[in-house]
Amino acid sequence: MIGRFVLRRLGIAVLQLLGVALAVFFLIRLLPADPVARLVGLNASEEAYAQAERTLGLDRPVVDQLLSFLGLSSDRGADGLADGSLGLSWVTGDPVFLEIGRFLPVTLELVTLALLISFLIAIPLGMASATRPGGIADRIAFVWGLFAGAQPDYWWGLLFVFLFFFILGIAPPPLGRIDPLLIEPSVITGFLTVDSLLQGRLDTFVSALHHLMLPILTQVFVVSGAITKMVRQNMIRALQSDYILYARCCGLSRRAVGRYALRAALTPAVTLVGIFYGVLLSAAVTVELVFSLGGIGEYAIRSILSFDYPAIQGVVLIVALVSLLIYLLLDIIHAYLDPRVKY
Amino acid sequence: MSARAPHVAAAGAEEILSVRGLTVAFAGSEGAEHVAVKDFSLTIGAGEFVGVMGEPGCGKSTAAIAMMGLVRPPGRIVSGEVHYLGRDLLAMSDAELDAIRGKDIGLIVQSPRTSLHPMLTVGRQIENVYRAHNRVSRRAAHARAIEMLQLVGINDPERRVKSYPHELSTGMTQRVLIAMAMSSGPKLLIADEPTSGLDVTIQAQFLDQMWEAANRTGSAVLVVTQDLGIVANYCDRVVIMEHGEIVEASAVRDFFAAPAHDYSRRILSLQRESAASVAGAPETERAAAEPLILVEGLSKDFDIRGSKDKVHAADDVSFLIHRGEAIGLVGESGSGKTTVGRCIVRLEEPTRGTVRYRDEMVSDLTQREFTPFRNDMQIVFQDPTDSMNPRWSVEQVLTEPLDLHTTLSAAEKRKRVTTLMRMVGIDPAVREVKPRQLGAGRQQRIAIARALATEPAFIVLDEPTSALSPETRAEIIELLIRLSRELDIAYLFISHDLTTIERVCDRVVVMYLGQVVETGTRAEVFRAPLHPYSRVLLASHLFPDIADRRVDRPERVTLKGEIPSPVSLPEGCYLYGRCPNQVERCRAMPQALEEVSAGRSVRCWRAVAGELPG
Ligand SMILES: Nc1ncnc2c1ncn2[C@@H]1O[C@H](COP(=O)(O)OP(=O)(O)OP(=O)(O)O)[C@@H](O)[C@H]1O
Ligand code: SF4
Ligand SMILES: [Mg+2]
Repeated sequence: MIGRFVLRRLGIAVLQLLGVALAVFFLIRLLPADPVARLVGLNASEEAYAQAERTLGLDRPVVDQLLSFLGLSSDRGADGLADGSLGLSWVTGDPVFLEIGRFLPVTLELVTLALLISFLIAIPLGMASATRPGGIADRIAFVWGLFAGAQPDYWWGLLFVFLFFFILGIAPPPLGRIDPLLIEPSVITGFLTVDSLLQGRLDTFVSALHHLMLPILTQVFVVSGAITKMVRQNMIRALQSDYILYARCCGLSRRAVGRYALRAALTPAVTLVGIFYGVLLSAAVTVELVFSLGGIGEYAIRSILSFDYPAIQGVVLIVALVSLLIYLLLDIIHAYLDPRVKY
Repeated sequence: MSARAPHVAAAGAEEILSVRGLTVAFAGSEGAEHVAVKDFSLTIGAGEFVGVMGEPGCGKSTAAIAMMGLVRPPGRIVSGEVHYLGRDLLAMSDAELDAIRGKDIGLIVQSPRTSLHPMLTVGRQIENVYRAHNRVSRRAAHARAIEMLQLVGINDPERRVKSYPHELSTGMTQRVLIAMAMSSGPKLLIADEPTSGLDVTIQAQFLDQMWEAANRTGSAVLVVTQDLGIVANYCDRVVIMEHGEIVEASAVRDFFAAPAHDYSRRILSLQRESAASVAGAPETERAAAEPLILVEGLSKDFDIRGSKDKVHAADDVSFLIHRGEAIGLVGESGSGKTTVGRCIVRLEEPTRGTVRYRDEMVSDLTQREFTPFRNDMQIVFQDPTDSMNPRWSVEQVLTEPLDLHTTLSAAEKRKRVTTLMRMVGIDPAVREVKPRQLGAGRQQRIAIARALATEPAFIVLDEPTSALSPETRAEIIELLIRLSRELDIAYLFISHDLTTIERVCDRVVVMYLGQVVETGTRAEVFRAPLHPYSRVLLASHLFPDIADRRVDRPERVTLKGEIPSPVSLPEGCYLYGRCPNQVERCRAMPQALEEVSAGRSVRCWRAVAGELPG
């Protein structure tokens, strides 16, 4: 049954991606921009301009361009969605898919770790503040929520760099993912921490974590206030429910009752994880810039600034794909945790 | 001790629980506190069975859980003491309290469905409670959970322990709570309307068990109820609450003989009036009346999704309804009563069989051809809120059938709505109000008015009073009786409440597992039931008659186990396996409904042969 559900959802996801592909294809062509001029320079001769236009395929009718973007036209090889390359970047000439494969793991590593740590902090804090409203934990959570939301994330990032790098000196300079003197582990998954562990490279593992320290701190700092608030609210609702009252009437211990409540509080929260993932993903754009991590956000900005259509299309599609998959995964987990969910 | 809160003394026996001056308040808006329970004092001795009664919202449930030191948030216990075997519960540490709650004092709450954790199997929840009080392995606790479910009469407990609460009927979740509360053998059971969702047979079994445990082991029971039948049949003493205070506390015989308080007198007189009118009502002569509806061989099978099996909800049902006659359809939940009612008014398509209305074979008509007959054949449901558009006003609700079935002008419709509202005893001034803003009783009146809008000759009433408090129920019953007389309407009155059926109906049809097992006049079925099932049903029903208490009877007949699943039916008599009168021959011999005298038939060969004890 769950298999059929997943298949159906994947089918829907394919349609959604197709929609996204079409939308982004036409939207960037509506921009008042001239990618050819950007490529050859404003002073290029008319011939050079026409030559470049031909190479990029922008001389052809839009329908033709669309077909080759979708990989349905036969005249151009490595240009389409269908063969998975996502086309060649106009700037570097490399397949967009491979380029994204280099940039995306950086971001996913940051966002996933940040989200994990946020939950590790938010769950106990939210629980504590729900069980003792007005207690210390509750007040900390409240003040934190106010504070963290008061300034944009890059502002906190810069503050942390100033504090932990310049003043305290415990953080590395915000210049990349790893100590430049170390040789990077060869790429397997693209996640530096995972690759290091796979190859037994403890030095690069530690250095990667060290460099991730402040970016993660920034993201955690910004997002866990909201997560704590959500955990707290769900928890309070659960604690006021009839089944918690009844569990107490049956003499279950405080801990057992807490587990009942947590189960009920976190299950609906699973689906919200997707939203927080999205929030962190978009916040990652600026955080990556502050720490020069070279993630997908940087790639996206670079592509937009150079009007690199295939790259823009590729980034949008891949990010859409990642969020669709995450939502699917979360729905599966939710259905597994809550027997009332029908699929 | 204040004079307003008489202290009820335990009758000499060892004192188990003693509550003194318990006061509970809820934080209201703007800091004002609403006192829900005020100066509540009560003592319960070993072996006692004590009843608590009172109007809805008078604080019964709040008092019941406050006795365990708990209050629903945002409430708090303002003052009072609760001594359990001499120790004050309200002064104990959490750990000490946890050891007593659920072990020494078991609680069954009023809302079983929301009181179970929605994401854990019921078996796991029983195990958790059992293991909190007994040092046993998971496996032993699991075995205990199955045993407890079996004990409360749940079929196939091995499968049911793995169910989640939302997969069970309300009656079953109620029994899960009973199983949980009883698992550690409590000395005191506090039960808040423990049987409101249960069939009479199961209710009687459970209360019998409680009563016997109290007598045998010296445990005690405090039962909160709205049902005079339970009070009369089981309780030693009764406490009446009003606005959070105890206003009367007496031994149960005194209570029935000389009720001290207004509320007590009111509910007792309501009940007496209805009993008197039953006794005084002339046996209506129906032979002359013309036949209105003839149901013959009606069967209804439901497909089960993803399976070739079928649910046999109704099986070869036949009966006749005369003009203006009220027929009662009784039986346990799941016996197919509702299905029969819905098939007659074509909300369901019968699988086999016919329904004749006057001269028309209405079961042969297409839905479109049937439409004009909807004027004549109406239905009223148990829960009026489910069947009315929440955004409509009373006026809109009542105008809808007029729009559909008549060609009246707008002014005529308005007039008709006014008449209808008067007819059901509702002030026409509330026509602009949304039904939901009115109480349950008035909502049901509106539902009845809507059914009356097209001047029907026949109404199916599907448990129309089951969701109501005793007083409102009595009012609705009076209304239905009056309407049937004034408008000459025939009823098919579906209910598992025999007191109501006895009050309203001229003839009775008893169903079991989709089959009609007995038909007869009210007097015949109620005074001298023939079929073993009807006999158990009547014996299990708790008539509020202090002179014939169930616990005083030498033998308390019950049915073993639960109604079998209507998917795989027994081969011979459907009651075989549960019947107190069965013999070997019944196992494989299918039973037919046989007429024993005019209008009286029964589906049991032993009853037909006169082999059953009188
Ligand atoms: N959680 C709550 N918050 C505020 N007031 C409450 C709460 N629970 C109950 N009350 C109030 O306390 C009073 C007593 O309620 P309670 O449920 O104990 O009555 P009851 O006699 O058991 O009613 P019923 O017959 O409907 O079961 C009512 O006035 C109710 O409004
Ligand atoms: S046929 Fe036998 S089993 Fe069936 S009701 Fe009669 S006596 Fe009982
Ligand atoms: Mg109550």
